[in-house]
Amino acid sequence: MSHIKLIILILASLLIFSCALFLGPTIIFPFNLSETERTILFQIRLPRVIVAMLMGMALGAAGAVLQGILRNPLADPYILGISSGASLTAALGIIGGMSFLGSFTVPVLAFIGAVITGGIVGMLGWKRGGLWPERLLLAGVGLSFLFSALLMLMMSLSTDEGLRRAMLWLFGDLSLSEWSRIPYGLIFVVVGIVVSATRAKALNALILGDEFAHSLGFSPQRERSILFLSVGLLTAASVSLGGMIGFIGLLIPHIMRFFMGGDSRMLIPASAIGGGALLCIADLVSRSVLSPMELPAGVVTAIIGAPYFLYLLRRKDVLSV
Amino acid sequence: MIKTIVNIISIVTIFVMANMAFAGQTVSTPTRIVSLAPSITEILFAMGLGDNIVGVTSFCDQPEAAKAKKKIGGMSNPSLEAVVLLKPDIVVMTTDGNPKEFELRLRTLNIRTYVFTARRIKELPKGIRELGVELGARGKANALAQEIEIALSKSGSRGKEHGDRGQGSGGSRVVKNPELFTPLEVGRVVPPRILTGQAPHSELNKTKVLFIVWPEPLIVAGRKTAMDDAITLLGYQNIASGAKSTYPKYSLEEVIRQAPDVICIGKGSGMDMRAVSQGILKRLKTVPAVKNGKICYLSDSLYRLGPRVIEGIEELAECLK
Repeated sequence: MSHIKLIILILASLLIFSCALFLGPTIIFPFNLSETERTILFQIRLPRVIVAMLMGMALGAAGAVLQGILRNPLADPYILGISSGASLTAALGIIGGMSFLGSFTVPVLAFIGAVITGGIVGMLGWKRGGLWPERLLLAGVGLSFLFSALLMLMMSLSTDEGLRRAMLWLFGDLSLSEWSRIPYGLIFVVVGIVVSATRAKALNALILGDEFAHSLGFSPQRERSILFLSVGLLTAASVSLGGMIGFIGLLIPHIMRFFMGGDSRMLIPASAIGGGALLCIADLVSRSVLSPMELPAGVVTAIIGAPYFLYLLRRKDVLSV
Repeated sequence: MIKTIVNIISIVTIFVMANMAFAGQTVSTPTRIVSLAPSITEILFAMGLGDNIVGVTSFCDQPEAAKAKKKIGGMSNPSLEAVVLLKPDIVVMTTDGNPKEFELRLRTLNIRTYVFTARRIKELPKGIRELGVELGARGKANALAQEIEIALSKSGSRGKEHGDRGQGSGGSRVVKNPELFTPLEVGRVVPPRILTGQAPHSELNKTKVLFIVWPEPLIVAGRKTAMDDAITLLGYQNIASGAKSTYPKYSLEEVIRQAPDVICIGKGSGMDMRAVSQGILKRLKTVPAVKNGKICYLSDSLYRLGPRVIEGIEELAECLK
């Protein structure tokens, strides 16, 4: 039954993918393309929608996994401070006007920031031979405060134009998507999702408690560490592809739980697909509504997603991991 | 007896009131001026009042002498304490970048404040003249304003010629400067004419220009900006003037569709614009401007509404020839 639901979800997201591709700010029909339209479709829209899909998938899956590891329904990929670290290094690059790697400068900086922060959080969360959820959470929140403060310090000292560019990136920016970024994004996101999905059974066990997982034959610490690594990788990849897009990691897993139940083997792929689809829609809206101006994708995601989530919350009852 | 006393009292009263009325007029130039904007600093220096300036913002870097002045903070966050410590005779601020509440706070402390309201190129000469009246430096202000007006009308008539070169000479609106004659300068002032726009039906054959303020993410100069004014003055068409804000994050798709003939890239502070623009120009390679190599890298003269806008317009005219 749930496999059928998953298939329906995949088909729906494919439909959304094509809508996002062809509807855009102006409708492009795939037949009889003029040269301009071909350029737009293949050089601008296609990479952009693919990046949106990848980012959404990364965030959705990471959110589902993290809520399981931490046994906390309010966990999202950004709670571990990974996003603050990434924002800090990215803003440093943007406000400082660095461009030693050309267009790759800011994404690489964001990735490095995310990985370093993830590493620090992991080290702080490590005690007595393993990662502990409470320690992870507290370390993440603490580090988040520190980096956010540093980020705000930097922004208050910068010129207005540097500040604006940094904020546009921070709110989510898919306008820079191009083909050269996609291979890297693809590798990290696919690896992350595959690792998480293959360990879904272990995640189910972890959700029920460490002793329970142990009695089922899993090593809780080992599984937690591996899953934490995959979350870090997915979040780092997502932030470096297009800035910070909130909401997806936190609430898509809950929305999918309403439809698919709490079994991680279904929930992780479903959250990935749901996240990807939502971000495609949000990106479509953000570039079409006030065309030719573009709105930040993160803002639109939350504006679309949050009311839907609240509506679901009213209708249904369950809100637990 | 009583009649005499009443007479004396009324004469004294009239004398005192007349004195008060005259005392309200500023005749002498203040010797301690604080400027809250780089553009204002440049205007003050150009008016020959550089020695009277005691405080500038940390972004005031033109002309060279401005860098040596005491700093009072940024444009959007000037330090009230620093301003007060300088014991200014007058603080000159602008509506375009300074916090509005600052004026109120200065007045509460009984510090004389003048707010410079010109935000567009065509308002600049009038704004300078009014500033001249306020600072008791009418002569210098009028000279500067006239210089700007002459340059503007030269560019404007060149622009009108250029605009006319494909269609009939449409009517162009002419605005005469109202503050023409002052009692001390009869015979010196030549009535300037400022061409404020082209006739509506001359849109068709105009060269299309895009002014990029920052390449990644793509931020361009929309309408109601100095760049837009300059482009229109010279008789060309700014393709981004349809956007609803002044410096929008613009859609790449839209640029490709609009196919600008010339792309101007403004200078970001301390950045090598050629290096950072490579990425975006590659993505825009199907656009006529890129195909024909009509890309110009301009200075930041048009970014500040001050005396250097003349240079900025000259640069732009050179580029668009």
